[in-house]
Amino acid sequence: MNAEDTNFSTGFIPTDRRFDDEAGAQMERFVEDFGRMYRERNEALKEVTRAHHEALMHLSIAADLKDDDTGVHIIRIGYLAEALALCLGQSRGYASMLRKAAPMHDIGKIGIPDNVLKKAGALNAEERQTMNLHTKMGADILGRSRIEVFQLAAEVALTHHERFDGTGYPHQLAGTDIPLSGRITAVVDFFDALTMDRVYRPAFSLEKALEMLLAERGKAFDPRLVDVFMANVSDLDRIRCDVTQRRPNFLSLIDAP
Amino acid sequence: MKKLLIVEDHADIRKLLRMTLEFEEFDIHEASNGDVGLAMARDIVPDVVLLDLMMPGYLNGLDVCRHIKTDPGMQHSKVIMLTARGKASDQEAGAQAGADAYLTKPFSTLQVLETIYRLTGTP
Repeated sequence: MNAEDTNFSTGFIPTDRRFDDEAGAQMERFVEDFGRMYRERNEALKEVTRAHHEALMHLSIAADLKDDDTGVHIIRIGYLAEALALCLGQSRGYASMLRKAAPMHDIGKIGIPDNVLKKAGALNAEERQTMNLHTKMGADILGRSRIEVFQLAAEVALTHHERFDGTGYPHQLAGTDIPLSGRITAVVDFFDALTMDRVYRPAFSLEKALEMLLAERGKAFDPRLVDVFMANVSDLDRIRCDVTQRRPNFLSLIDAP
Repeated sequence: MKKLLIVEDHADIRKLLRMTLEFEEFDIHEASNGDVGLAMARDIVPDVVLLDLMMPGYLNGLDVCRHIKTDPGMQHSKVIMLTARGKASDQEAGAQAGADAYLTKPFSTLQVLETIYRLTGTP
C-alpha cells in the first residue's frame, strides 16, 4: 500500500508529502546529472551550428564573388530580411533566424559552371536553365542539416526566385504558396542589388530602385511586402547604408541574438 | 527573465520541477497549495503557472486555474496543468477551467521545458 492510499483511508491529508529520503536524494542526483547533460548538449549543438554556419557563409561569399568581391551584399541581405520580417510583425525569433539564413540564398551558385556563372553577356535559354538550377542546388547543400536555421536557409534558397504571379522558378509557386522567407528575401535581394554598384553599371538611385520595386508589386513580389517595405523605407535604407559603412563581418551576423 | 510559479503540494515533486526548470534561466517561485498559489500568482503575475490538479486546501488546481484565467491582471499568464496519467476527465475539466496545456504525471522534464517555450514563444 503506498502513502497515498493510506492518506485516503484515514481521511488525513498531509500538507507536504515527501518521497522516502534515500529515493528522493537519488532522484535529485539523476536530475542534476540530466541537467548537466542537457546543458552540455545545448552548448555542443551551438558550437556545431556555429562552425557549420561559418563554413557555409564562406561558401556563400565565394558563390557571390562575381557580383560582389566584398561579401557585404549578402550581409546586407541578412539584416534587411530581418528588418522587413519585423516590420511585417513576425516574431523576434523568426526575424533573427532569417537574418542568419537569408545570406546563404545563392550558395547553390558554387555548383554552376564558370562559363555560365561568369558569362559577360546575356545567357541563352540552355544557359539560363543551368543557371536556374542554383536554387535546387542550394537547397540540397543546406537541407542536409537538421538544424533549424539551415532548414530555413534551404527554404530560402529554393524559393527566392519564385514570383508572386506564379511565373518564377523552380516550381512556379504563386502567392502565399511561396514561403514567407522566400518572399522576403526576393524583395530585399532585388532592392539591394539595384542600389549597389555592379561591374556593368553604377548603382541606381534610391528613387529609381523604389520605382522598379513598385513596378513589380503583385508581379514578382507579394504586394503586402512591397507596401510594408515602402511604409518603412527610411528605416530599411538606413540599415542598408549602416551595414555598408560599418562592414560587420558575418560572425557578428551569426552571433547576434 | 520569465517568471514561473510552481503550485504543487508534493515537496519532492516541487523540488524536481524546480531543478528541471533551473536547466534554463527562469525566475522560479513555489507554493505548496492552491490557496497560497493563487495569492502568490496575484502578487507576482507569473508568465507561466505549473499547476497540480489534485491539491489539499480550500482551492484545488481547477479552482486556481479558473481564478487566474478570469483575473484581468493575469491575462498573459499561461497555465500548465499537471494531471494524473490517463484521466481524460481531468483534461476535459482543465480545458473548461481555461488551462493552456496539460502534462501527465510522471511528467517528462523535456516536455515541461518545451511546453513553457511553446506557450511563451521563447527562446
